Amino acid sequence: SRQCGLLSPQNYPLYIRSVPTENELKFHYTVHTSLDVVDEKISAMGKALVDQRELYLGLLYPTEDYKVYGYVTNSKVKFVMVVDSSNTALRDNEIRSMFRKLHNSYTDIMCNPFYNPGDRIHSRAFDNMVNSMMMQVC
Amino acid sequence: MSHSPGRKQENHKISRELFVLTYGALVAQLCKDYEKDEDVNTCLDRMGYSIGIRLIDDFLAHSAVKKCRSYSETADMIAQIAFKMYLGVTPSVSCRSAAGNEFSLILDKNPLVEFVEELPAERASLCYCNLLCGVIRGALEMVHLAAEVTFLQDRLKGDAVTEIGITFLRKPEDRKHKRN
Repeated sequence: SRQCGLLSPQNYPLYIRSVPTENELKFHYTVHTSLDVVDEKISAMGKALVDQRELYLGLLYPTEDYKVYGYVTNSKVKFVMVVDSSNTALRDNEIRSMFRKLHNSYTDIMCNPFYNPGDRIHSRAFDNMVNSMMMQVC
Repeated sequence: MSHSPGRKQENHKISRELFVLTYGALVAQLCKDYEKDEDVNTCLDRMGYSIGIRLIDDFLAHSAVKKCRSYSETADMIAQIAFKMYLGVTPSVSCRSAAGNEFSLILDKNPLVEFVEELPAERASLCYCNLLCGVIRGALEMVHLAAEVTFLQDRLKGDAVTEIGITFLRKPEDRKHKRN
């Protein structure tokens, strides 16, 4: 199973997609607990003297069953992805490229004049992109 | 002998995204200001008209085209030169009536709607690009061609293509003296 979520700067969900959908509640919980790790990493970034603003946060924390990856935009929108621990085939750069795709699609959503920042995301194009991405992570 | 060089074509390009986003913001704001779709459409058409009556001189100055002698030539001019110059796309033109005064411009790509996936549910009759109709109408009026310009089909509304219909309303005056 795999899950993908977008969180607003105020940490409420803008978009959640779970495959299979039964795990959605658990995913909400996972995302919630990972927010602490995300905030920790963001503040660590601020203190370190990094020239390059690294958006990819990497593996947030592994558990027995799954691995959680994070990514934060400059506007403090957070992307979180959860994949099965059993999925060892997934490499770091593949995760990075998935986050980049998410980020690009998110940018397109932002450019829609009828989308108000902070609204939940209802977009067929976005759904299609997430679906095809999740299918790849099999 | 003229010492001053001819007017240089200064090509200061602005970002396309900025233009598309500005247009989107305009439409979104009109949607906030007016409850009815028809009012927004009318407003867009009026704004377009105001642009068109001014844009025509810019167009004629930069394109150096010859006078059109038929409605068909005019429609071709709009599609192949004006649209190309200002929006970077070339709609295809077809004649819709036997009388030769109704034309369709079919837009394959429309840069204005690049980020709009579909119209919001409460705005089903919104003609998002109605500004373009006003522009064409205004520009034609300044060269003494009265026309009705509307969107006949719109991809944003679920139609297969985006189609602008131009209906010329009066015969052009017969020109006895051709300009060089």
